[in-house]
Amino acid sequence: MKLRRQSLLTEPPASAASDIAFILIIFFLVCASVEPEEGRQQIIPKNEQDEKKQKTKTINVDITPSNIVVNVPNSRDGVPIKSYKRDDPALNALLIAKLQGALAGRTGDEARIVAVMCKDDAAPYYLWMAITDAIEQAGGIITLVREEVVSVQ
Amino acid sequence: MILPRRKLSATVPAMAMGDIAFLLLIFFVILARVQDDSHIQWKPAEGRELVKPETMRISVAIDREGVTYLNGRVLSETADSAAIRDMLARALYNENGAPGQRGLLGDLPSGRRTVLLKIHRDTPYRDFEPVIEAVSAAGGELHHVLEEKN
Repeated sequence: MKLRRQSLLTEPPASAASDIAFILIIFFLVCASVEPEEGRQQIIPKNEQDEKKQKTKTINVDITPSNIVVNVPNSRDGVPIKSYKRDDPALNALLIAKLQGALAGRTGDEARIVAVMCKDDAAPYYLWMAITDAIEQAGGIITLVREEVVSVQ
Repeated sequence: MILPRRKLSATVPAMAMGDIAFLLLIFFVILARVQDDSHIQWKPAEGRELVKPETMRISVAIDREGVTYLNGRVLSETADSAAIRDMLARALYNENGAPGQRGLLGDLPSGRRTVLLKIHRDTPYRDFEPVIEAVSAAGGELHHVLEEKN
């Protein structure tokens, strides 16, 4: 009598396919939805070479290692240069109040430009966000100003 | 003679469950972003009145160690700020490229040129300034990813 050899190829059970698929769905859902994406939009105009023409009228905000200095040419309140401590808990509110006053009579995009210059390379990102947030809330348009390093030979 | 009433059985066919599950799986895989940057270690800064971005195609991140990433890939670990600025600006927009090959932002219309910025809250200005400048030079619309302030 001949004995039949059992085939080694066995089909996977089809009933398990739906379970596998549902586990994969849960895996992709969990992986996809954890990352936060909410934030704040900011449009910074491209650098232009002829910005110097407007420099005399532009509001300047300088970030120094210890202070935030706001310089408003032709200031109405008679205080063109005002300095705020970086660690002041009311910094945001103070900046908004100062800049709102400075921008009050200015119409048009060019007049509302606020030039931000950071003189402290170690200034943290959260401080930058707090200052730019105050400028935007006051109605200003942010422009980055870089300190040019000139080497004299 | 009493004829027994036939019972109508309304059951969901179990065989279809696998097909439904696989269709859902394909749907979620397509929806999931191709560029995953969930491995980057960073803590967002705080902000108020946060909004969702228009698009999520491009993301630039700076982690706790100050390493810059573009769409989840390390841009450079050793390059200085000027080199990072140039690399990033070229990757986002290359005006000399052929149509369709002008970088990640290319000729996308305004409103669809969003670049997500995921910058660790304590990153110093010297590290994040080149990124902001490169994105604005490439005509990108910055979207700072922040945490809602309590």
